[in-house]
Amino acid sequence: MAGPLAPAWTPETVSREDSDLDRPWVTVVWDDPVNLMTYVTFVLQELFGYDEATATKLMLQVHHEGRAVVSSGPRERMEHDTSRLHAYGLWATHQKDA
Amino acid sequence: MRPFRRKGDVLVAKLGAAEVGIVSLLLDQLEQLLAADPDDTGGDPVVERLLPPGHVGDPETAADYRELTEAGLRSGKADDLAMVRATLPVEGGEVRLDAEQARAWLRTTNDLRLALGTRLGVTAETGAPADTDGEEGSQLAVYHWLTAVQGSLIDALVAGRGGRR
Repeated sequence: MAGPLAPAWTPETVSREDSDLDRPWVTVVWDDPVNLMTYVTFVLQELFGYDEATATKLMLQVHHEGRAVVSSGPRERMEHDTSRLHAYGLWATHQKDA
Repeated sequence: MRPFRRKGDVLVAKLGAAEVGIVSLLLDQLEQLLAADPDDTGGDPVVERLLPPGHVGDPETAADYRELTEAGLRSGKADDLAMVRATLPVEGGEVRLDAEQARAWLRTTNDLRLALGTRLGVTAETGAPADTDGEEGSQLAVYHWLTAVQGSLIDALVAGRGGRR
């Protein structure tokens, strides 16, 4: 995500391969017409230990923007997070951070 | 149905015999769907929604993930379903759940809602059916009934969490 402290340019010496390895993976929750808003908030708190305000903010992002990144880290952990969300019926995927 | 309420450490609701009958029937159908040979249910949008792809983009990554997780996901759902069935009062009456049983109920009622919602093509705007006589209308009424059951269970769990702090 670009911010005021993000570099304005990427050194060309960094190969694509290297930057791919450095990028973490993320778990994304997608909007869904069935899952209740209170349920999504509850599950995010339950699985990730988020406080109510954080979980509600992520739930609203899913609802309004269609998706939200709910966790990031190594690939294996994102696979685990995805499967825990699937167990609760949330529509989740993991991918390399864009 | 009397919605879920917290009584101490227990979550209590009351279901009529007919309601228990409907839930039991839905549990049987969900169980069959989850136990079916994947070759027979390939392309079924309900199965696709209950066991969704965990990765989009790279087919190999998606296949690896499915290989790694699908059996566990299926067996977890089957365990939840069995736990819900074990807590149903056959003749109707009180449902009493501890914390673990409540999670099983949350996940299973959600799976039933996902299954029905997918079959019925529910959208965020879908309201209560105008006519509950037809098959689709009665299924939609069941869907909304499950929403009320699950919603009350979530509210009771959240209220309890606040109370413990």
